[in-house]
Parts: sequence; structure tokens; C-alpha cells
Amino acid sequence: MTLDYTGRRYTQYDVRSGGYVPIEEYALIGDGRTAALVAGDGSIDWLCLPNFDSPSVFGAIVDAERGGQFALRPAIPFTATRRYLPGTNVLETTFTTDRGVVQVIDAMTLPDDRLPPMRELVRSMEAISGRVPMAWRCMPRFDYGRMSARCGWRSGVPVATSGADALGVASWNAGMPAWRDGAIEATCELTAGERALLVLTSAFTEPLILPGRAAAMARLDATIRFWQQWSSARGCEGPWCDLVLRSALALKLMIFAPSGASVAAPTTSLPEDIGGQRNWDYRFCWIRDSNFMIDALLRLGCYDEARSLFWWFMQATALTEPVVHVLYRLDGGPGVPERELPLDGYRGSRPVRIGNGAVEQQQHDIYGGLFETAWLYSSGHHRIDADTGAVFGRIADHICDIWRRPDSGIWEVRNGPFHFTHSKVMCWVALDRAARLADAGEVPNRHAARWRREADAIRAYVETECWSADLCSYTRIAGSRDVDASLLMLPLVEYGDPAGDRITGTIDAVDRLLRRGDVVYRYRATDGLPGGEGCFLNCSFWLVSALARSGRVDQAAALMERLAARANDVGLYSEEIDPHSGAFLGNFPQALVHLALIDAAVALSATPRRPRRVS
Amino acid sequence: MIASAIAAGFVATLVMTTILRGASELGLTRADLPLLLGTAVSDNRRRARALGYVFHFVFGIGFALAYVAFFHVVGRGGWMVGALLGALHAVFDATVLVNVVLPVVHPRIGTPETAANEIALVEPPGFLLMNYGRNSFLVALVAHLVYGALVGLIARP
Repeated sequence: MTLDYTGRRYTQYDVRSGGYVPIEEYALIGDGRTAALVAGDGSIDWLCLPNFDSPSVFGAIVDAERGGQFALRPAIPFTATRRYLPGTNVLETTFTTDRGVVQVIDAMTLPDDRLPPMRELVRSMEAISGRVPMAWRCMPRFDYGRMSARCGWRSGVPVATSGADALGVASWNAGMPAWRDGAIEATCELTAGERALLVLTSAFTEPLILPGRAAAMARLDATIRFWQQWSSARGCEGPWCDLVLRSALALKLMIFAPSGASVAAPTTSLPEDIGGQRNWDYRFCWIRDSNFMIDALLRLGCYDEARSLFWWFMQATALTEPVVHVLYRLDGGPGVPERELPLDGYRGSRPVRIGNGAVEQQQHDIYGGLFETAWLYSSGHHRIDADTGAVFGRIADHICDIWRRPDSGIWEVRNGPFHFTHSKVMCWVALDRAARLADAGEVPNRHAARWRREADAIRAYVETECWSADLCSYTRIAGSRDVDASLLMLPLVEYGDPAGDRITGTIDAVDRLLRRGDVVYRYRATDGLPGGEGCFLNCSFWLVSALARSGRVDQAAALMERLAARANDVGLYSEEIDPHSGAFLGNFPQALVHLALIDAAVALSATPRRPRRVS
Repeated sequence: MIASAIAAGFVATLVMTTILRGASELGLTRADLPLLLGTAVSDNRRRARALGYVFHFVFGIGFALAYVAFFHVVGRGGWMVGALLGALHAVFDATVLVNVVLPVVHPRIGTPETAANEIALVEPPGFLLMNYGRNSFLVALVAHLVYGALVGLIARP
């Protein structure tokens, strides 16, 4: 299937409901250090500076009044269509008005050798026809809107500063900017063929760099070329190529270039339930995502990115081993204390949280992710050094000691701990891969026999305690009668025979009990949190993968077609979706969904999954 | 004497740089002297910052030699005289040096009269470095006081 990202939706933007737009109206731009969400009406409603996990300077998506934003739109009623320039993460928005058409190019540029700003966001306007009045308003609100800013001018450029942060907006042919109520604003009129440029420049703990117009445009052109070259180097083929490439580009935006770590999503506290409390900060690197990420990166030929992520991973876990935390900061640190901000939240969904309390939980499935990552990395003919191998050995011993204990599970429930089937299986994955790594000489093998023994014990436990003959399915928790979408992972991690009765029975049970239309709930049980939630899109793609791996390719392909149509107009997905309205819910865009999409596309394309060789 | 002045200049500059960087990390100032100095000769950020550190240490040692010469001329030295010189030095830097001298020799520093049209400009420091944060002068003053005191302490006449 080829997705037509251009003009699939055509929307009238004249009123924001309470200052908010639907989550699916956003597109993502970024530079590998931070990312911005651009609404369909041209407003940048989310940007943290200088990095993903820094405080926001534009946070209107979580507080329309106090959060700050950078609006750019026609000053008269308009309609808008959007697309990414082919093969890039550069966004093109076309505004059509009664008086003419204007195109806006939005990008965060990549640094060059012409004294680039620390972070630079370029908004280039060009009138395509007629004569269109444009208006722009940049309202920076530092530190999630908590810090007041000093407004001033430097060499003719309006600048806002607060503590170690500074931000300026250089403009050319875009009107006469002026400060008003803590915002920089101006209007201009563009006639056909005329161009205007806005460049947001920012600095942290250093003086601002005020960019020149030619240099900024050169960086924009170089950024477009970079993305096109990056895309063309991806080994992407098959019927879902466009979808996979867009996912790959989105994932690349979520990798923090200085360390190689990837955020689960670049946002915080977009609600899983409008008005609800299930609002979490995803701007950290989850261990469990990493095996999917490394798998996807290797498949896509991103060997440098895979290597960086793996070594970041080893460095981060070395600080806490043999205990492995659920998530780490992008710099590899383990401390991410959860706090609440005095913000209104997206459409009143409070609290807005920063940090993530899940870091304190015991989640045994992450060990499976860790060892799967190492196995994938090693299977790609990368060597694991002796010290790292010894660390893996100690972690495998630790798993032997803890797998019998209950945990909080993959979904980070807050009413646990329980004996989650998925966690047990992932402990089996960990010990199975540990033994394989020992056989391959990557990990010291003196305890390999114990790892095999314990892996067998886990399998015996799962097969007896976690199987329901009534449901004809593995269960969510040992001894329970519920199913859980995480069980779809079993064939993905090579547990059991994917075409055998137990796995196909489990897939059928999840399909029967948790699927609503084309999307899948993660479970239908209490989890210690108030409020509801939508269907999880990663689970929906896992269902595609599981169906394909169990041999039901036609059924999987049909589901994939329907899920592909769930993407927003620029090919992105949030964490969840309302099965009735189709509205996006949760943080956006979510890496795990795009990783699951890539895995589903690969499963459907029947590409041999392993082993792979890295040239 | 010269050797001790050079050693004093090196140590004092090292401490001063650490104070400035630490204040920056604490969000007290955006002043970044190595970047400011280095961008005079390079528009490559990494190279500019590296060269800036070299210039900073060269200037730091040069000023230490000047301090020691002053100690000899007045026949007094020690940490108190050094700190006093450091305070004067800070005022000179934050007023004349960065706002009058630097724009003349620095091709990429902005002034109220310039506009960022063709080449990138470094944000001008402003009077008493206020553009880089309200506490910038205070930070610079403390750093220079420590610098002067260390030179006075290490390179006694």
C-alpha cells in the first residue's frame, strides 16, 4: 500500500476548541536533540529546549493559556493541507485562503560550520498565488510556564531570556516584530512569489547566536538533503514501504543524537483518557523499547544508530547492574523523580507530570528485552567486549534469583505486584538468550547450565500455571482467567510454536476478547488507576505480527490495511486511539507503536527474521 | 618571578573558568568567554570553543604577568591587593573590554547598531554583561576576585 500523505485531510481551521486541537492534528519536526509539535493551523504547541527532557518553552498542548506557543497562519480564514517533503522530516503546510495560497516550510535545522545557533527552528513562507496577509506570534514561556522572562532586543532581534535560557526570533520580510504582552508578534502580506523567513534561535548556558538569513536557508537546504540521503539509504521494500519509511523517519527524530538513546515519545502528559489522570512523561529511554529499536535499526540498515543505542544501553545499565531499571534518562542517569506541574493539562487532563514514577517499579520483562537486545546485536556480528559480557553474566544470575517473585509487569500497573505471564516469558527469553550468548562465547559460560535449568523451570511454570484450558489461552496472570495483549509478544520472542495450538489459541483469545474493530485493548482488568483508556496501537500491530507469524497472513494483511488508515495525515500514530471516534490519545508520536508497525510490516513481508548479517 | 607569574596565571585562570562554568550550569549566567573569544577567529563552533579556551588561558597568563608587574611597581602584593586588582579588572572587562574593544576586533559580535542579515552574530554582552543574565556581572566579579587573589597569593613580589 502506498500512502498519499498529501492532502488526505482538508480541514478548516478557524476556531480552536478551548485552545486545543486534536492530538492527531500534530506533526513532528526535530533535530535529534529535541522535537517540536506543529499543529495543522501552523502553531507550534510543544518544544522543549535545549533537549527532549528539558523544560518546555512552548507548552500550549498541556496548557493553552500558560504554556506558550509559536503561531504562524494567515490573518484571514483559511484551510490547510500538510505533508512532509518526500523522504524528510521537513514539514510543508499549504494555507489556502480566498485571497491566495501560502506555503510554510517548518524544520529544525542540523548544525553546520557557519556558526549555527545551539538549536534553530526555521519557518519559511512563500506565497504561491494571490496576496495573503500572514500573522505570527511567538509566546515563549520558559520552564513549563513557571519562569518569567526578560524581553528585549539584540542587534534588532527580539530576545527573551530566563536564567540560563535564551530565545530569539530573527525575521526577514515578515513584518515589523514588536513585543506585546510577553509575545513577539507581527503581520505581513505576501504576494505571489514573495518569500519571508522566521528563524527561532535558542541558547542554553551560552550567548545566543543570531543567525544570518543566507546561513539559515543554507542549513534548511542541507537539512532537507540530509534527510533525503538518510531515507534513500534505508533498506525498505515491500507493500508497506511508505509506512515503514515514515516510521523510520519518526523514530530517527526520537533518537537523542549525543547519546544514541531514544525517547518513548517526545511529549509528556498527553492523556490516555480526556480529562483523566493517566498522564505520563515519556521523554526517557525505556529498556523494553530498546530491543525493538535495535531490531528495527538493524533491519533498516541504521548500523551506527544501533551501535550507539547498544553502548548507551550498556553504559546506563552498568551503573545499576545487576538490577536493571525500567527506564533511564537520556544521559544514562537512573534518577527521574515524578512531579506534578501546576498546568491545566491537555483539555483539562490533570495532572501534568514530569519525571516517571515507574522507574521505582520491579518489571521483570525488561530483562528479556535487555538480553534480546544483546542477542540481536551479537547476531548482527557485533562483538560484545569481555567486561560487558561479564555484566550480562551477573544479570543472568540475578534473573535466576528473582523470576519467581511477582512484579508490576509491562504495563506498569499500580495495584500489583502480580505473577504476570508476560514477565515470566521474558525472563525465559533472558535466560535462553544468555545461554545462547554463552554458547557464542560472548558471555562467560560457567553458569550457563544454571541458566538453562532455570529457563526450563520458567517454561514449566508458564505451561502449567499460566495456561487456561477454558480460555484455550495463556492468561494475563498465573491462575487468572483474563487475557492480555502482551501475550501477543510470545510468538514475536520465539516462545513456543507460532503455529501451535497454544499460541494460536492465545492469539484467538486476544482477538476475541480485546479487539474492538481494528484496534486492541491491552487488557480489561483493574490496574490501580482511576479512569479509562483507549486501545493501544502497539498491541494492534502486535496482533498483525502474531497473526502473520502464525501463518494467517491474509487476516494479518487485512488488519494492517485498516491500521494503516488510522495514521494521521502525515503518517504518525499516538500511543492509543479511541476505538469509537478514532481520536488519538496518549503521548504522540509514540516510538513503540512505530516499532511495532515496522515489525508487523516485516512479518507480513515474510522477510526472514534472523539471523541477519551486518556488513 | 616570571615563571611564578605564569604558574599563578594558569592556576587562577583554571579556577576562574571553573567558577564561570559552574555559574553557567547553575543558571546564573549565559556568559561563555571561550565561545565569545573563539568566534572571533572561527565560525566552527567546536573549533571556536577550543581556540577560545586557548585564548582565555593565554590572556589569563598575560594578565597575571601584568598583575605581578603592578605588584613590583607599587612594592606590594598578596591576595588582598590581587583581589582588588581583580575587581578593577572585572569592571574593565564588563564595560570597556566587551562593549568597546571587543566589537572592534571581533567580526561576529553584535552591537545595537548591527543586524543579523548575512552573517551570524554572537549576542552582544551588553553593559555589565547584563544581556547574559542579571547575575552575570556578579559572577564575573566573584571570578575575577578569586583570580586576582590567587595570582597575588601564588606570585608574591
